[in-house]
Amino acid sequence: MRLDMPRWARIPLAVLVAVGAILWLAPLAWTVASGLRPGNAVFRSFRGLNWRTFIPDAVTTENVAAVADGTLGRAILNSLIVAGATVVVGVLISAMAAYGLTAFRFRGRGFVFALVVLAFMVPFEALAIPLADSARSVGLDNSYIGLILPGVGNGLAIFLLRQFYLDVPAELAEAASIDGAGAWRIFQHVYLPLTGPAMVGAGIIIFVFQWQAYLLPLLLTTDPSMDVGAVALARLFGQYGVDWGMLFAGAAFLCLVPAIVLLVFQRTFTESVVGSAVKG
Amino acid sequence: MVFLAPALLTLVLTRLAPAVDTFIASLRDGGAWSLANYAELGADTFREAVVTTVVFNVIINPAQVLVSYALAVVLSQRLPAVGLWRTLIFLPMAVPPAVSTVVWGIWFRPGDGIVNSLLGVVGVPDQPFLTSPGQALYVIMVIASWIGVGYWMMFLIAGIKNVPAEMTEAAAIDGAGWWRRLVTIVTPMVRRQLSFVLVAATVANFLLFVPVQVLTRGGPAGSTNLVMYEAYTQAFVFNDPGPAFAQITVLVALVAVIVALQFRLMRGPAEQVRHAS
Repeated sequence: MRLDMPRWARIPLAVLVAVGAILWLAPLAWTVASGLRPGNAVFRSFRGLNWRTFIPDAVTTENVAAVADGTLGRAILNSLIVAGATVVVGVLISAMAAYGLTAFRFRGRGFVFALVVLAFMVPFEALAIPLADSARSVGLDNSYIGLILPGVGNGLAIFLLRQFYLDVPAELAEAASIDGAGAWRIFQHVYLPLTGPAMVGAGIIIFVFQWQAYLLPLLLTTDPSMDVGAVALARLFGQYGVDWGMLFAGAAFLCLVPAIVLLVFQRTFTESVVGSAVKG
Repeated sequence: MVFLAPALLTLVLTRLAPAVDTFIASLRDGGAWSLANYAELGADTFREAVVTTVVFNVIINPAQVLVSYALAVVLSQRLPAVGLWRTLIFLPMAVPPAVSTVVWGIWFRPGDGIVNSLLGVVGVPDQPFLTSPGQALYVIMVIASWIGVGYWMMFLIAGIKNVPAEMTEAAAIDGAGWWRRLVTIVTPMVRRQLSFVLVAATVANFLLFVPVQVLTRGGPAGSTNLVMYEAYTQAFVFNDPGPAFAQITVLVALVAVIVALQFRLMRGPAEQVRHAS
């Protein structure tokens, strides 16, 4: 029941929602279409509007090849490396921290947890300028480590995993420990296997964080070969005589990767992340 | 502690230390303690950037809460393939904002851009959009909201689903129509989620940077010069980070005060009754 609208409104509403949701993504559909257009047709598609705006009359893969050969392709590869490494390291250390915070009782546990919460309350964008400053002073500019490190410590991911670990029955861990399992084994064989959805949720949080990163990578890299995808794309956009077909092929790729990740993990993500935010 | 050490170390290094750093650096000038950086905040450009940022937020945050709540109400109905529609609305949030910004920047081209062509269909004359000091800030709001509202919507849908079905059923039996149930039962019950969204949107929009840097560089005529972009120009274009640290400190303090106020305001009568009982 909750908020169901009157019966007569059902069908018009269903149509309206479907049309609206598809129109909502028109800019992204146009981006993909433009990435498939031959170079000279792309610029023409900026103007005017007809059904050809969204469906190219000629399709080419030359833009994709141009991305792969150029600096944009290199930058997208950097994004993949940075996001991939951050997810692997970030999920691991977040899970370890969440385990440390739930399975053990120690002095200062409340304080440590408060630090974790504080760390995700501080708006990260505000930290980019000082963070870039200090990274440069220790020589981490223009390096993968400098790009990866700010993404691996994620308070929200730890918070989310902890919510799930609190639900792991203590008897399971006790039974394992009576059988002689150490703390690491209990983590590996009891906690990790029981909390798959939470790890997916934490992984997506960390991935999206890195895939969207802009200001910090912008400040951290002066060497174009170390740019991440989003920054390289924005730089290209500002140049004169840019190859629009290539730019859109790159933009389409940068959109499609997270879109696919979200569509595949949609249910797990909504249940673990949104669910625990609403409860917590 | 072995389990906690790596995460704690990175959080301290990349979140807490830079925050403390910013504050300390804002108080240093030429190797000595000084308020000189704060004295520079009296300059016209910063004052105007604060005013622009406040105006921007006074409009965009309520608008985003309203739009995302409307979307949540519609998309929590029982509809065919509703999960798919929700994901489509939510998707822009996962796309890098720099990419969305570039695409929308081209759509909003003055003259014969796609948005102008669309408006032309309904008889609206060509608009200058990003090249007009009177319109550019609103165009930025539209872009930022297209990115954000789907994400906020997800939290509100979860909130609506949490409302006990018995309550709305009882009201329906008493003859309360759809709109009445929305206003008198569901909305008060999702107050907590609504205030979460308001606060999260406020934090995100006060720190908005990407569309300004990519599309307008603060212009035309300073009309989109939000504080984050002003601090960035100060630090990296003028190569004088001291005042930028002071600007960021002031910005974060401002956000903290506003968020605290919002929490107080959103703790309306319903919440107080629950606390009393």
